Amino acid sequence: MVDHFDVRLVKLARQGDQESFADLVDLYKDKIFHLAYRMLSNRHEAEDIVQETFLRVYKNWERYDEKQKFSTWLYRIATNLCIDRLRKRKPNYYLDAEMNDQEGLDGYTLIPGDERTPESEYLLTETQQTIHYAIDGLPAKYKSVIILRYLQELSLSEISDVLDMPVTTVKTRLHRGREFLRKKLQHKVL
Amino acid sequence: MDCKQATSLMHEYLDDELFGEEALSLKGHLQECPSCQMHFKELEQTEMMLFATIKRSSFSASDELVDRIMKTIPSQHKQRTWLKWVKRHPALTAAAMFLVVMLFSALSLWNSDDQLVVKGKDLDHVVINGRTVTVPSGSKVAGNLTVENGTAEIYGEVEGNLTVIDGSYFQASTAKILGEVKSIDQALDWIWYRITNTFTEVAYR
Repeated sequence: MVDHFDVRLVKLARQGDQESFADLVDLYKDKIFHLAYRMLSNRHEAEDIVQETFLRVYKNWERYDEKQKFSTWLYRIATNLCIDRLRKRKPNYYLDAEMNDQEGLDGYTLIPGDERTPESEYLLTETQQTIHYAIDGLPAKYKSVIILRYLQELSLSEISDVLDMPVTTVKTRLHRGREFLRKKLQHKVL
Repeated sequence: MDCKQATSLMHEYLDDELFGEEALSLKGHLQECPSCQMHFKELEQTEMMLFATIKRSSFSASDELVDRIMKTIPSQHKQRTWLKWVKRHPALTAAAMFLVVMLFSALSLWNSDDQLVVKGKDLDHVVINGRTVTVPSGSKVAGNLTVENGTAEIYGEVEGNLTVIDGSYFQASTAKILGEVKSIDQALDWIWYRITNTFTEVAYR
């Protein structure tokens, strides 16, 4: 049912129908946002990702293969964007080092407070927070697999399509990620 | 079966990919090995937690996000079709650009000239008063006389052509103009005059 509806919307949107495109955005924005928020733990960045994802969809319709599920394609674009962000985020400077141009100013002064605390934006229980932090602490390659699996409830083969890697790799990452989370949560919530 | 093997089977089980004999052998190992039993319990709980918690905490994007996205999209669409047209018709685009540039330069030249201009080889006897250019009776202008943005009043004699651009002229009964009298006040006439003038100037230089 939902899938049929999807296919029709995608077809119309692809032909340039703005209203259908808006419907698609409306239908998927929360899912993409949730995915990006889990990956990046930052609301603003997550919204940027949603926007960028749909912009790419719009620009690259000709690359979309209709045999593929639209959501798979969408998740692929979004996860790739998130992984790029995470990679860029890797600090390549020391916060304690003083800036060259201004005296007495170091890297800390440039950080606009800790936006990365989820409880400041949403009301979460302690358990939810613990889990959120545990996921946040995962290395990026496990993070994407775990999020696609538990948040979007994708099957292993769907995850392999989204991330464009063999199912065996997905499995390995899922298993390692699961162990990682188990150890993290072991003494806190289990 | 060792514990390492058992761990790998536990994960297969959680992936919904453990069936038949393997499932039974894992069950057998779990019954014998308390540490694996503990491990499995923890993994299972982690799994449940993840599914339950992640699903329950629903984060939603702000409502204006759809508008924001749709605003960035149509503008691009317009630009793209415009660009496509340009790419498809390069000659027409070039011609149109040329016309536009020509039109603007011509118009700007035409509009900018609102100062009184008097041109001629012999202007000694010409009297200029405000915007009125007078050739007094009894005096003689050798050659052509051109007046732009003013009134020409001829009482005397002009031995060449009299041209009045964007203005008017008055010819007294005593006036004597040997050449032609031309009055130009339309943009097209003016352009034609400019062009022929340029050519004659070039030709006589």
